[in-house]
Amino acid sequence: MKRLTRGLFLIVPLLLVGCMEWDYGLEEDFDTSASPEGLFVCNEGNFQYGNATLSYYDPAACRVENEVFYRANAMKLGDVAQSMTIRDSLGWVCVNNSHVVFAINLNSFREVGRITNLTSPRYIHFISDDKAYITQLWDNRIFIVNPQRFEITGYIECPGMTMENGSTEQMVQLGKYLYVNCWSYQNRILKIDTTTDAIVDELTVGIQPTSLVLDCNNKLRTITDGGYEDSPYGHEAPALYRIDPVEFKIEKQFNLAFGDTPSELQLNGTGDMLYWLNDDVWAMPIDAERLPLRPFLPYNGTLYYGLTVNPHNGEVYVADAIDYVQQGKIYRYSPQGELLDDFYVGIIPGAFCWKQN
Amino acid sequence: MRRAFLNIVFLFLPSIIWGQQSDNTWSSRGITIRSVEVSGKRPMKEIGTSTTTFDSLTLKENIALSMADVLTYSTPIFVKNHGRATLSTVAFRGTSASHTQVSWNGMKINNPMLGSTDFSMIPSYFIDDASLLHGTSSVGETGGGLGGAVRLATTPASANGFGLQYTQGIGSFKTFDEFLRLTYGNKNWQVSTRAVYSSSPNEYKYRNRDKKENIYDENMNIVSQYYPIERNRSGSYKDLHILQEVYYNTGRGDRLGLNAWYINSNRELAMLTTDYGDDTKFDNRSREQTFRGVLSWDHLRSDWKVSAKAGYIHTQMAYDYKRDIGNGIMAHMTRSRSRVNTIYGQVDGEYYIGNKWLFTANLSLHQHFVTSRDKNIIRQDGGKAIVGYRKGRVELSGAVSAKWRPVERLGISLVMREEMYGKEWTPIIPALFVEGVLSPIGNLTAKASVSRNFRFPSLNDLYFLPGGNPDLRKESGWSYDAGLSFAVGRKGVYALSGSATWFDSYIKDWIIWLPTVKGFFSPRNVKDVHAYGVELQAKLDVALTRELALALNGTFSWTPSINQGTPMSAADRSVGKQLPYIPLYSSAITGRLSWRKWAFLYKWCYYSERYTMSSNDTTLTGKLPTYFMNNISLEKSFSFSWADLSLQGTINNLFNEEYLSVLSRPMPGINFEIFVSITPKWGRHK
Repeated sequence: MKRLTRGLFLIVPLLLVGCMEWDYGLEEDFDTSASPEGLFVCNEGNFQYGNATLSYYDPAACRVENEVFYRANAMKLGDVAQSMTIRDSLGWVCVNNSHVVFAINLNSFREVGRITNLTSPRYIHFISDDKAYITQLWDNRIFIVNPQRFEITGYIECPGMTMENGSTEQMVQLGKYLYVNCWSYQNRILKIDTTTDAIVDELTVGIQPTSLVLDCNNKLRTITDGGYEDSPYGHEAPALYRIDPVEFKIEKQFNLAFGDTPSELQLNGTGDMLYWLNDDVWAMPIDAERLPLRPFLPYNGTLYYGLTVNPHNGEVYVADAIDYVQQGKIYRYSPQGELLDDFYVGIIPGAFCWKQN
Repeated sequence: MRRAFLNIVFLFLPSIIWGQQSDNTWSSRGITIRSVEVSGKRPMKEIGTSTTTFDSLTLKENIALSMADVLTYSTPIFVKNHGRATLSTVAFRGTSASHTQVSWNGMKINNPMLGSTDFSMIPSYFIDDASLLHGTSSVGETGGGLGGAVRLATTPASANGFGLQYTQGIGSFKTFDEFLRLTYGNKNWQVSTRAVYSSSPNEYKYRNRDKKENIYDENMNIVSQYYPIERNRSGSYKDLHILQEVYYNTGRGDRLGLNAWYINSNRELAMLTTDYGDDTKFDNRSREQTFRGVLSWDHLRSDWKVSAKAGYIHTQMAYDYKRDIGNGIMAHMTRSRSRVNTIYGQVDGEYYIGNKWLFTANLSLHQHFVTSRDKNIIRQDGGKAIVGYRKGRVELSGAVSAKWRPVERLGISLVMREEMYGKEWTPIIPALFVEGVLSPIGNLTAKASVSRNFRFPSLNDLYFLPGGNPDLRKESGWSYDAGLSFAVGRKGVYALSGSATWFDSYIKDWIIWLPTVKGFFSPRNVKDVHAYGVELQAKLDVALTRELALALNGTFSWTPSINQGTPMSAADRSVGKQLPYIPLYSSAITGRLSWRKWAFLYKWCYYSERYTMSSNDTTLTGKLPTYFMNNISLEKSFSFSWADLSLQGTINNLFNEEYLSVLSRPMPGINFEIFVSITPKWGRHK
């Protein structure tokens, strides 16, 4: 019995040892109001792991702060941070698989409110102070919300799609009309009258338009990814389109090579230069009549995942997600393609948002 | 690190202390304890292998355990657990879930679409014989086990006449577990029917520190925030398992067997901690119906044996993700269906020449037919279409081996295996095993082995739409093992055994699913991995008095699993780092104290921090700290003239730890379950 007692005496206290070491509830104070401009980076994180983060980069100081949402609020941003949009003094972050859009203070990163119970929010676009649209994946509706009350007020039913293949993405507005590209297993641009919240027209483009911008000549630009091999929806060469939004007709189609994977169509601040990813980083003036022969930045052996252009000075920022399970890296280039800076952010940096003071 | 080291030292200290004591008074007591086996010579079939065998007490110590729970507390394997009664996969020796091959009564049960096995769907109540074949040791059983293999089997019940056992379990979170076993047996026949039904809304509470609740004023300004206490939302489950077995033993060396296992599972997929959806508006659910059947024939003679098996697996899986679109109608966001049919056949032969040579051969065939329908879409022409694939694949695996024991203390075994998946063959897969008894005192035995191995991509890896990559190469690897083991004891008094094994594996062309710019994932051969480490195991059974027995079982493993691939870009910081979600250290200990008809069980496990990033950066949002888990149970048996009864109470997560196995997947705090078991003594009244 003595031996037993001795044995238990040794074991039991050690079994009690240890708890998970958690640090909770520490809210950090930020104040970025002094910096003239800033770049927010939405890091998607890994799907189903809830490790999306928000990074903030000060171009003037060449300084990055990572996980600013968590550090400011002592809670996670969520699962798959898809995009961020700024309206006045607030930033609105769509967190896709958390069914939420957070509103944060742009200088302190503190949450000021949230819109919940969304299906799978992708992008938010403000029609007015008290009305915004939120596009969705896996839903055939665009949600109408009141951003002041953080509540859903209605829906716009999109024709020709079900919940299962529903996909509405980026939005641009010209006058009272809003245009939205439909991406996953879709091939259309929808035109919505923002005064009536009704879809008034739709335009068929190529398979899976990934992004949508409005250039300085008030022309819509979209780029398709062409689908994928063996897709029952089809697989074709992707293309870049110029669309007249008033006539709502395709003016020009620039065909890319079959098998190319273009994405992330962007404009510079003056709206006269297009940028996109297609292994390399490509750039083209909006009045060009043919695609460029050489890339703006050649492929360097990695898969670029995100792209933005500083609206103030035309500097180009490219996101490298590396292996998608480590902190991605952002490369900052001059308008001439010279590397100016690079910095690590969060997992899978996919979207950017510029803050201009 | 320091804490982990201390835990490890103290984990084994008691065993060492007891191991050094050879008290003669024990032998004079003449008592019988649970399992005191000190083997003088290992079976020739196991020459040089590193095997962990679970005894029946381990498998049945808590009737409600899944094999995921058993592996967690009784082996060095890391079980990646997504929550209570949810997907549980294993990382064996620093490898991934698909690198562990799992067989049930000889038939491979890894899902051919995924390559992995969900151990939460295997109730330990249905398993009578289980063993782990570590690393190289799996080559004698099957190919593709770059980490190893888990061998599960049922055995005849040894019943005499009719028998019945019924157990009812009631636990926290409205958990109900019911177990029934009917047996019939005579000299030739053994028939057994087992059924398990488990259900729970599974709504355990936890403090959600990944989100905060906001309190707004009338102008929608946040005036206060707090971490909410939430329920595990949408985590309910209802699992039914039925197992029918029939064995016929001619008594002249032939045995026929039938095993048929039916599963009907309906499980919700619990919401993440970071989910702001209303759980009443979403339904995220997977359902599975699986039938597995094996017919077997064994023909035994004094120096040779042949056996043949034929089997069939049918699996239907449905995944539905729905949401309320505002009118109470739940509309599908995802409606995924898959169907797998597998035909299986295997022949085995063994032939002894004297007691020095054993030759074995086996050939197995698995023919899979898979239909995957992942998404319903509307085509450009307005017609309907389904995104999915339909494929078949034949998997042939054959091996021959020669085992030689030239002298009593030395054994050598050579295995040659070859596999064909589809039309692609592996090169010859060799495995060489050597073992020698260094000292008969304490049965001190040294063993070493080396093997090559290959794992073919799963059917989803190759064909899943979108993303499947038919150009994938098979993963390949070399593994090396070396170790020492000992066993000492005194019959009926105590038994102490232990082993230390070093292993070293190189795996090339590791397959990983990565996102693409088109919004879906696609697998690629991206990594070369060096997985190595040490596994320690110790086991002690001791009779402390005539009525008091103690059984201790401890394991520890150190498993660096290092990415040695080429950097994916200049910015890649993952090379030379530990793979994500594989702990560097893990340990488990189980202690059972039996006194008369009482039994007290203490289970403890430890996992070191798991990285969530390939670069091994630990960020605020990507942290999975070390955790320790403690479970206890107390059992009392009663024997009446008309029946045997037993009562068992268990406490899981004794210290109410907040812990995670996977990011954003909360695990339950302290919880309880009681079991009442009855075994009537029909026709055996005294």
